[in-house]
Amino acid sequence: MLFNSIDFAIFLPIVFLLYWFVTNKNLKLQNLLIVVASYVFYGWWDWRFLSLIVFSTVVDYTVGRKLRNEEKQLKRKILLWTSILVNLGFLGFFKYYNFFLDNFITAFSFFGQEIQGNSLNIILPVGISFYTFQTLSYTIDVYKRKLEPTKDFIAFSAFVSFFPQLVAGPIERATNLLPQFYNKRTFDYSKAVDGMRQILWGLFKKIVIADNCAEFANQIFNNSADMNGSTLVLGALFFTFQIYGDFSGYSDIAIGTSRLFGFDLMRNFNFPYFSRDIAEFWRRWHISLSTWFRDYLYIPLGGSRGGTLMKVRNTFIIFIVSGFWHGPNWTFIVWGALNAIYFLPLLLTNNNRNNLETVAQGKLLPSIKELSFMILTFGLTVFAWIFFRAENIGHAISYISEILSLSLFSIPKFAGMSRALTTIILVAIFVLVEWKGREGQYAISHFGIKWKRPIRYAMYYAIIIAIFWFGGKEQQFIYFQF
Amino acid sequence: MKQFLTKVIIISLPILFGAIFMEFLLRNTPNDYLFKKQYLDKNSSEIETLILGSSHSFYGFNPEYFSSNTFNASHISQSLNYDFEILKKYQDQFKNLKTIILPISYFTLFGKLEAGSESWRVKNYIIYYGLNSSKSLIDYSEVLSNRINVNIKRIASYYVLGNSTISCTDLGWGTSYNSKNARDLAETGKTASKRHTREDINSDKYQLIFQENIFILESIIQWSNKNNVKILLFTPPAFKTYRQNLNQEQLKITINTSSDICSKYDNCIYDNLLSDTNFVATDFYDADHLSEIGAKKLSVLINERINKWK
Repeated sequence: MLFNSIDFAIFLPIVFLLYWFVTNKNLKLQNLLIVVASYVFYGWWDWRFLSLIVFSTVVDYTVGRKLRNEEKQLKRKILLWTSILVNLGFLGFFKYYNFFLDNFITAFSFFGQEIQGNSLNIILPVGISFYTFQTLSYTIDVYKRKLEPTKDFIAFSAFVSFFPQLVAGPIERATNLLPQFYNKRTFDYSKAVDGMRQILWGLFKKIVIADNCAEFANQIFNNSADMNGSTLVLGALFFTFQIYGDFSGYSDIAIGTSRLFGFDLMRNFNFPYFSRDIAEFWRRWHISLSTWFRDYLYIPLGGSRGGTLMKVRNTFIIFIVSGFWHGPNWTFIVWGALNAIYFLPLLLTNNNRNNLETVAQGKLLPSIKELSFMILTFGLTVFAWIFFRAENIGHAISYISEILSLSLFSIPKFAGMSRALTTIILVAIFVLVEWKGREGQYAISHFGIKWKRPIRYAMYYAIIIAIFWFGGKEQQFIYFQF
Repeated sequence: MKQFLTKVIIISLPILFGAIFMEFLLRNTPNDYLFKKQYLDKNSSEIETLILGSSHSFYGFNPEYFSSNTFNASHISQSLNYDFEILKKYQDQFKNLKTIILPISYFTLFGKLEAGSESWRVKNYIIYYGLNSSKSLIDYSEVLSNRINVNIKRIASYYVLGNSTISCTDLGWGTSYNSKNARDLAETGKTASKRHTREDINSDKYQLIFQENIFILESIIQWSNKNNVKILLFTPPAFKTYRQNLNQEQLKITINTSSDICSKYDNCIYDNLLSDTNFVATDFYDADHLSEIGAKKLSVLINERINKWK
């Protein structure tokens, strides 16, 4: 079920009313409702893959219970690896089997060895990369004794399958989300209103910004061989805002929806395109995944301790794995490696934690220096997105080659230029609103909060009208494919 | 909680009422689908020649030039599954039906209305033809199927400006593609051929669509055979700028498959008119659609073909 669908618009109020009016007296019942609703939400897409979620839930719950009573280190390790292998095994099979097979065949043929292998017609279960990492965080934290294993199977099932963030995050930590299922939730008016506002803003980002940018990004990337350099730059910019609007929009809807049910999810985006360096960008982009890799991969590898070589190795590992997490394509690996290259100079010169505060805090405009660094960081990010969006490495290289040719100085030309102008104006307004609201949790969290009610309502209606005005048929979220 | 629900209801009500009112206005705006449905409801028992298919039929066949009682029941982007649905819906009423004309264009066997950019048209078959063929709730509503600005334009055009919203003649021929407003044949040849070429016809997605279409096409022919109706399949004429840019594999499969299927049945003939030399530049509105001049030519040509076949 998509957040931007009529199905969800009917599903959400029904679950909300059942949650607060029918099951509110009994915590277990309330959690059970979340499990059932989450399975319906997921099964709407393809009920067959529910079995994977259920299996992961049972395995990790059992491993957690056994870890509680097990003192022998070797057995604890075996339990931990059982969970890791089962979860990553599913992920590896469904997501990476064909990639590895194809690359092995290519590698062997390079050395003159012909090997046979049948690629499989595998459908990628939606959200597998997200819930796999979420449930792994539970086993790892229990293994490290950072978290008490749960005895409550229903609460654990609800944690694994919690529908607002099941298919595209934020990837929650068991330490943050699981305990919230143990405690009785009480309806909080201001939290619910804030949740609704965040849902509204998320829908705006997805439907108005992302989907409109997608039309032109797709057109330009899919026909890049026929486009001049300046058009390709526009295409990369459209994709830059498409992916941000799409993914951060999803996160906003997920967080807002959770708030309606009394849950607090972790923040996933913090105005990343206003970053002054790449290190800051990665503290602000897909935060739940970056911190997951930091805590469960980078730090266990030694992090930034040790010598220069160790730092370089760990940085490349985390960025490349992070890229590969997005999908079985060399483009994602190059995208990750490129970000590692951007990041390394900052790390090696100890400048990776220079910009921890929000840019131009309390000010209307940034300084010239801040603006310059923001533009530079944004430019590097846009460049990296070309690899992320391209079909393959060859496509990315030819795309960039054309940008670097003299055609960069020609006038952009593609079908629907006048409509694209409307989208550019919308993006400009969007950036201004984001800039104005950059110190809040999301852009409109405090926007117009002190305005008189009629004006504030007029603003909400304007956003709603924009959603209907610029929205087309419901579109998939990009991160569903990851 | 009470306060929250009250606020949500207060904010939602104007939107809900606005949407219902808009839905009411849109559904009461005359359109080609409702118009053709009403014609079929009333006259299907008298129809002798039925034209089905997509825009290539809609603009390509003027029933006035047929010697038999002919109706053009095609619509823009109508795929084979909807051709068959229309046929099934009126099967008991088609008492005099003798011939069906069905285009097999370059994209027909690899396309499906639901899978393309024109999928918003699915609601027309559900709302106006009464076909329940979609799982998506959006397809049951006018308001939700299109952007609000498109809906407002439609409402304003009919209710405020008093424009006609029907784009076909009484017998179903599309009149918007006039030779006076003909488009650049070179440019439209490139864009249309690209739009109609599937990126990978061997992919699972297109193979599935292809298999479905073959099944539907055979079902239409078998239905016709059972009811003593002749069926004329044809690949419509197109200008050279369109033909030159086609994927040869997709084209070859389309032509060979149509020809092979048709040869299995006595009641079916297949004509490939794609490169027919009767059609020259002035017959085209754009590189793959005929203007009123070309439509007359094609209608006369096919009418003669049907008469000879008798």
